Amino acid sequence: MPAARPDRTRLACRAAALAVAAALALVPLARVDGPLRAALAWLAVLGLLLAAGAAWPLPSLLGPALVALLAEHTVVLLDGGDQVDAAAPLVGAGLLLYAELACWAQEARPAVRDEPAVTRARLAVLAACLAAALGLGAVLLLAAGLPGGDGLTRLGVGVVAATLSLGLLAAVARRTATRRR
Amino acid sequence: MTRRPAPKIAAYAGVAAVALLAGLALGRPEPVAVAAPLAVLVVAGLAAARDPELEVDATADRDRAIVGDQVVVEVRLRADRPVDRLELLLVVPPGLEGPSGPGRPWAAAVRLAAGEERTVPVTLGCRRWGAYRLGDLHLRAHDRFRLLTWEQRLDLRAPLKVFPEPQALRALVRPLETQVSTGNQVSRHRGEGIEFADIRPFLPGDRPRSINWRATARRGAPWVNERHPERTTDVVLFLDSFVDVHGERGSTLDLAVGAAASLAAAYLRQRDRVGLVGFGGFVQWLQPGSGQAALYRLLDTLMETQVFATVAWKGIRHLPPRTLPPKALIVALTPLLDERAVAALFDLLARGYDLAVVEVSPLAGAPAVGGGGLRRSPPEGQWEPLARRLWALERETLRHRYQRLGAAVVEWTEDAHLQQVLLEIEACRRHARIAPG
Repeated sequence: MPAARPDRTRLACRAAALAVAAALALVPLARVDGPLRAALAWLAVLGLLLAAGAAWPLPSLLGPALVALLAEHTVVLLDGGDQVDAAAPLVGAGLLLYAELACWAQEARPAVRDEPAVTRARLAVLAACLAAALGLGAVLLLAAGLPGGDGLTRLGVGVVAATLSLGLLAAVARRTATRRR
Repeated sequence: MTRRPAPKIAAYAGVAAVALLAGLALGRPEPVAVAAPLAVLVVAGLAAARDPELEVDATADRDRAIVGDQVVVEVRLRADRPVDRLELLLVVPPGLEGPSGPGRPWAAAVRLAAGEERTVPVTLGCRRWGAYRLGDLHLRAHDRFRLLTWEQRLDLRAPLKVFPEPQALRALVRPLETQVSTGNQVSRHRGEGIEFADIRPFLPGDRPRSINWRATARRGAPWVNERHPERTTDVVLFLDSFVDVHGERGSTLDLAVGAAASLAAAYLRQRDRVGLVGFGGFVQWLQPGSGQAALYRLLDTLMETQVFATVAWKGIRHLPPRTLPPKALIVALTPLLDERAVAALFDLLARGYDLAVVEVSPLAGAPAVGGGGLRRSPPEGQWEPLARRLWALERETLRHRYQRLGAAVVEWTEDAHLQQVLLEIEACRRHARIAPG
C-alpha cells in the first residue's frame, strides 16, 4: 500500500474549503458600498464561521453555511437591480466546491490510508462536477434570458419547474433512508 | 450491507429548495443557477448509485507463530460492480501489532473496478503469546459522489496461535522419583542401566558381565556392579492463572506461560511425560503425555490461558485424579498472590507430591531496599514503604512455610534467566529435608 498522508489530505481539504468559503464571503463585499456593506460584512463573518465549523468538526453546519453564503449573494443581487448577474454560475460552482471539499475533509480519516487511485478519481469527479455546475448555471441563465411569454406565463413556468424540482428532490431523498440488505 | 445516506444530501437538498423558492419569490434566475448544481448532483448521484457486490475473504499465511514473528494477513477482494472507494478496517487484537501501531486497527481505502480482484496484504507483528482470531474486518463502500455509504462487518475467523519464544535450558529440575518405563532420567533406584551405583556380593541369577573383577579379586568372592536405570518421569506444570501482575517488561502470567512452554519442550525432549494444570478462575488440565503431539497439545492449551476473575474457591479436588499421577514432579509457576493457589500448593505437599515452586516475582522492576530482597518504589506516602516491607515479610514467611514442608521455592525476577532459577531450585532440593514437627 502507498504511504499516504491522511492528515495532510484532511488539512489540505480544510484549507482549500476555507479559502473557497472566504472568497465566496468576501467578494460580494467589494460589490456594495455604504451601510449595506457593513451589514453584509456581518453576514460574511457568520458565513465564514459556519463554513469553518462545517469543515472542522461539525458537518451538520454545512447546510447553514451554504445558506448564509447564498444569502449574501442574493442580497448583492437585489442591490444590483434588474441586470442579470453573469457571475451566478461561478458562485454556484464555488458553493459546490466548498461543500465537496468540506465533506472530503470530514471523510479523510487519519487512520485510513487512501491509495492514489482513490484520490485521483475523487479529484476527477470533483473537476467534472465543477465543469458541469458552470455549464448548468450558464445554461439556466441563458434560458432565463430567452424572450417568450408575458410575466404571468413565465411565473407559471417557474412555479411548475420549482414544484417539479422539489418533488423530484423529495422523491429521490426518500430513497436514502438507512437500509439493511 | 447496511446503506446509509451522507449528511450532505440533506444539506444540498435543503439549500437547493431554499434557492428555488428564493428565485421564485424574487423572480430572478440567479439563485436557481447558483443552487441547481447542488440539486442536480443529488438527483443524478442517487439515481446512479447501485449497491456494491463484493466478495471478501481474509486468510493468514500461517496459523502458528512465535513471539516476534510477523504474520501476513491477506484480504482478498472481488467486486462485481465498481466501487469508487472501499474502506477496509482490520481489527488488530491486543497482543499483535499492525502497521499503525500496537493494538491499533489497520485501515486503508482502495478503488475497485467492475470484476477486479485485489489482494491486500497486512503485516502483523506478534508481540504477545496467545490464541487469536484474525479477520474481524469492517468494510465501508462509497459511491462516486459520496452520497451513500454501505457498511458491513465480517468476522472471517482466521485462527492464529502465537507461542512464547522458547528459552534454551541445559539443566532441568530432576524429580525425586521416576516411573517404571525406560527414559533418559537416571533413577535413584538400582537396576539395569549405565550409571554406576554401587557394588554388592554376587547372587544367583546375576549376569556374569556385571561382575566387578577388580573388587572380586580384592575380596576373594564374586562381587557385581549395581547401576542406576534410566527411567522416565512424570512432570506436571502447575500454572497459577488467578492473578496477573503487570510490570515494566511484561506480566507475571507472560513469564509463567513462557517458562511453562520452555519447560514442557525441554522435558519432552528427554522423553519424559509432561502434563499441565492451569489453575485459576478457569481450571484446565492435560494428562501427562509424551512426544511431539503432547507438546503441541500442551502449547495449544497454554495459549488459551487467561485470567478469569472469580471468587469461587478452587482446590486440588477439582482436578481429575489422573492429572496428578503418583511420583510426579510438580513444577509450580506462580506469583504466590492468590490464597487459592497458595492453599492448593500446600495441599499438594500434604499429599506427598514432589513440588518445586518457581515464584514469578510480582515485585520485579522496582529498586531493592536493604539486603533482604525488599523492594520499594519512589515514596508516594509515608505508609507505603512500611506496607511494602510488611508484605515482603509475609511473602518471606510463606516461602519459609513451603521450605519447611520440603518444597524448594525460588523467586524469579524478570532480569534472571529461567535456567538460573532452575539451577537454584535444584541446589535447594539437593539439601532440602522436611523439617521435623
